[in-house]
Amino acid sequence: MSSPATQLVKPASAEPKTQLRALLVEDSEADAELVLRALRKNDFDVSAVIVQDEAGFARALRTHCPEIVLADYNLPDWKGMEALNVLRRQDLDIPMILVSGALGDVTAVECIKQGATDYVLKDGLARLPEVVRRALRDKYERGLRHQAEKDLAKKADELARSNADLEQFAYVASHDLQEPLRMVAAYTQLLSERYKGKLDENADKFIGYASEGAIRMQVLIHDLLAFSRVGRAEASYSTVDCNEVLEEVRQTLASAIAECAAIVAHTDLPAIWADRTQMTQVFQNLIGNALKFRGKEAPEIFVHAEKAGQQWVFSVKDNGIGIAPEFAENIFVVFQRLHARTEYPGNGIGLAICKKIVQRYGGRIWVESQAGRGSTFKFTLPLQGPQAKEEAHQ
Amino acid sequence: MKSMHDLLIVDDNPADIALAREALIACAYKGQVNSVGDGAEALAYLCRRGNYADAVKPDLVLLDLNLPKRDGLAVLAAMKANPELRRIPVVIFSTSQLSTDISRSYELGANCYVSKPGNLTEFFSMMKSIEEFWFGSVSLPPRGE
Repeated sequence: MSSPATQLVKPASAEPKTQLRALLVEDSEADAELVLRALRKNDFDVSAVIVQDEAGFARALRTHCPEIVLADYNLPDWKGMEALNVLRRQDLDIPMILVSGALGDVTAVECIKQGATDYVLKDGLARLPEVVRRALRDKYERGLRHQAEKDLAKKADELARSNADLEQFAYVASHDLQEPLRMVAAYTQLLSERYKGKLDENADKFIGYASEGAIRMQVLIHDLLAFSRVGRAEASYSTVDCNEVLEEVRQTLASAIAECAAIVAHTDLPAIWADRTQMTQVFQNLIGNALKFRGKEAPEIFVHAEKAGQQWVFSVKDNGIGIAPEFAENIFVVFQRLHARTEYPGNGIGLAICKKIVQRYGGRIWVESQAGRGSTFKFTLPLQGPQAKEEAHQ
Repeated sequence: MKSMHDLLIVDDNPADIALAREALIACAYKGQVNSVGDGAEALAYLCRRGNYADAVKPDLVLLDLNLPKRDGLAVLAAMKANPELRRIPVVIFSTSQLSTDISRSYELGANCYVSKPGNLTEFFSMMKSIEEFWFGSVSLPPRGE
């Protein structure tokens, strides 16, 4: 709380005056006086320097650091508009207002086009304070906006760089880890093959654990490489008929489909502008999961797509074991698994790759499911390429 | 004394060389296996310079790409530019699966490119097919020319 004494000292009447350093380009002392009076009458605490030519103007810019330039249009030895060029050359963002005698509309518009902030007629100086205030406010806001844009660009830069670093790191790490691991895997395997039963029971067990661990790590690294490659590889776009993609996936998964007598059906799917390999990967992972996480009955998998505004919504519906809603987000995180490896094999990379691919296209992916009641995985792909242009024309 | 076949393995990883030897024993390879650990050594061996004055010119070279001093591609280029060495078949044996490495190898005259498998069983069966093909099916250039 402030003390009463302070309140007493404070002048009760006056609004706080706006401090203003002005630079006047004016040959008439009387006119300069009128200009300054107009400002001072309106709560500006002005400190002004008055100049008449370029040399004086340049000097005053250095010594006075003006916040605003008020320039007469016509001067005996100089032109007011020349002041703009000086400001520009020195890369100074100081608003300049022309204060002039009769100035034709055409000339006035031309001056503003060239960069003058505004103009005020000498017989209408009552307008000047408001014009100055607006010029200062605009400049302030321009500065804020500029700063915000700069901050944002910097953040985006940093983010892009750190993302690229991370991709690079994942790639290099996994690539360089493969070499020594290959040796561990090969030699533990060789040990187990060659010395099985020749040492004691524990030795066989230990070698087996080491060998399994090395092989599992190889698979993890392989998956990590595949995951980081999604971000690194240049997608090659073309028109991709999703019906063909699905047919291809069905052939790849043929033995898994036959094994559990699954039905994989789809409605007529659209052709989209995308990378064929990546689309195949998405469908293969989703359908592969639907086969893997099947319930007691034979899997029935249904793929469908419909247009919603400027995007396609694809859905892959199954009658499998489903996912409790609290895990619906987790499953898209790399290496996240809900089940023991012994129950369902896999490393938890498939959905993470799907998510990364879909996000690359500006889409999103999610699951709608209840435990025990099947799942529907949905993802969106914005209309892109020639198709989007067609859409826009319609 | 010349043995039935002479194979030169160029690899900087002794564990890899030992593994290749094991695999060759497993497929009953009867020839000689020699090995060097970097590209400069490989060229010294092939040109019988320095310590390798008595080296036997190999019938086949198993060449890793990622090597210290002079990498595998440099060794390959030097071999294929040398009339004395040009006819020796070179099998590139590398973990790299980069398409640039593969096509560069063939451009420089590699006789084939084989990716080192990560798993022991595959590694052994790969060595077996190399052995069977190059020392069984293929007619190698006549020796002593």
